[in-house]
Amino acid sequence: MSAATPTPAAARPGEAPRTPAPVENRPRRRGSRTGRVALYVTLTALLLVFVAPMVWAVSGSFKPRGDIFEYPPNLIPSPGTFENFRNLLSGQPFWNWFAISVVTALLATAIAVFVCALAGFAFAKYRFAGKRLLFSVMFSSLSVPFAVILVPLFVLIVKSGLSNPWFALIVPWVAPAFGIFMMQQYIIQSIPDEILEAARIDGASEFGIFWRVVLPLLRPPLGALAVWQFLQSYNSFLWPLVLISDTDRYTIPLGLNILFKAENRSFDLVLPGAVLASVPTILVFLLLRKQLLEGLSAGAVKG
Amino acid sequence: MTSLSTRPDGKRRQLAPYAFIAPFYVLYGLFMIVPIGAGVYLSMTEWVGLGTPEFVGLDNFANLARDTSFHKALGNSMIFVLISVLIVVPASLLIAQALNTRGLRARDLFRVTFFIPMVLSPIVIALVYSLLLDRDYGLVNSVLRALFGAGTTDWLGDPTLAKVSVGFVLLWRWVGYLTIFFLAALQAVPRERYEAAELDGAGPWRTFTAVTLPGIRPVTAFVVVTSFIGSAQLFDEPFLITGGGPGEETLTVAMFVYRAAFDRQQFGYAAAAGLVLFVIVFGISQILNRLLSIGRTS
Repeated sequence: MSAATPTPAAARPGEAPRTPAPVENRPRRRGSRTGRVALYVTLTALLLVFVAPMVWAVSGSFKPRGDIFEYPPNLIPSPGTFENFRNLLSGQPFWNWFAISVVTALLATAIAVFVCALAGFAFAKYRFAGKRLLFSVMFSSLSVPFAVILVPLFVLIVKSGLSNPWFALIVPWVAPAFGIFMMQQYIIQSIPDEILEAARIDGASEFGIFWRVVLPLLRPPLGALAVWQFLQSYNSFLWPLVLISDTDRYTIPLGLNILFKAENRSFDLVLPGAVLASVPTILVFLLLRKQLLEGLSAGAVKG
Repeated sequence: MTSLSTRPDGKRRQLAPYAFIAPFYVLYGLFMIVPIGAGVYLSMTEWVGLGTPEFVGLDNFANLARDTSFHKALGNSMIFVLISVLIVVPASLLIAQALNTRGLRARDLFRVTFFIPMVLSPIVIALVYSLLLDRDYGLVNSVLRALFGAGTTDWLGDPTLAKVSVGFVLLWRWVGYLTIFFLAALQAVPRERYEAAELDGAGPWRTFTAVTLPGIRPVTAFVVVTSFIGSAQLFDEPFLITGGGPGEETLTVAMFVYRAAFDRQQFGYAAAAGLVLFVIVFGISQILNRLLSIGRTS
């Protein structure tokens, strides 16, 4: 699953297929030059469709309110200004929202990664009574739409006095079945039974095996799951929307939502807010993109 | 699988897996099973959030069956499911095919850039798009005005265009994510099969249907089911971009549940609507999983 590195020459017929290397399996294209040009043109056009809205938003966030909708839009704001950012940060509890979002997402991520790795390990490396049933119960929770638990979970959480964001934004979401599935797939594929046996012979406890032998080998899927969970938690909207009513305890998405719904549609505050809100997710993604993209695809392909 | 627990090696090893999966099942029970149970109970009551819920049997369901808003929401959700499964999924496969071309340069740049929308908050996407699509100031209409002299299209206010706009945002947001799965699947199709097809003189279309599609079947199944579940419970995009409007033209079932509970305090009615969605989504995805054999333990 390594990033695709093109092999120089096509395999000649008669040559033994280079065994497991899943590196270069692409269909052979008949080398039409126009076809290739068309391909690059299409992909580049598509790239622009993906990038344009983001560039427009970033550039707009540095423009005075009156210039945001200028046409044709200037890529480089002139005059550029930090006024919007200053207004946002001084007039709104933006850093509060930011802190709540980031900290709850980090906590949820740390716990989820641990819970999923542990359960994934059990499903991958042990035989036990009821395993099939338990696995399919776990897996089927992937197809439960959130809308069905939205109302009753809200009622239960509020009635039991747990509607505090530090509990309610974290604890119900730290055991994603998708993460267990991903871990289980990876452990089956890449952790040989022998090293577990060796650790057992050395007298390690079962949890010791997980903690000291298995976990250190799980770097790639842990990275993937961590990014995935962080994004889920940081970007979640509906649950915080029903749960949190105190503006000081808003998460970033909620904060941006009220700014945007405000009377004068304060897009000069909303754009810098959107840009700042995206910084952590884009950063996390760019840093761990390799793990995430490969972790996601590995689970699905071998699944 | 070698003999891990076949040797009689003490109770600890037999109990260990249960201890390891216990945290998941505790959380699953508390935050999934209990709420679903409570939802079933609530769905048979009338309750405004204060006092004791009043038992009304199946009245809520009977009312849902007559409620035109609910019908509208079901229909809209179905439209978004169809957009996801019939447009977004094939588009991702197409992009993955393109990215899978041999010797393509900057493959990673494309792959990563197409993925970025998935990383952004739905609220960020929604507010950027509602500014871009604004009828009076939006960039899209400004461009149309400059090019064709006519740019007064009401992208978010026209019943059909509002659905198209939300559909486009779904496409923009999801396509790069799904492409990742298809690309990995395409790369895993053994090359000998393509060579055999070429020797047999198969054209590109024939190669696609005879080699590529069977080779990526498991991933296609996974992607279709994921997209189905995701789009059937769609909330963020229509809520944030169109607010369900104009009228109820982009109202989805999840939004219907939200409005019933948190705008009108009809908690029992909302729970009933949630339950209907659950039965439909869970039922269809179990059937799909079975048909396509997804999610088996190895």
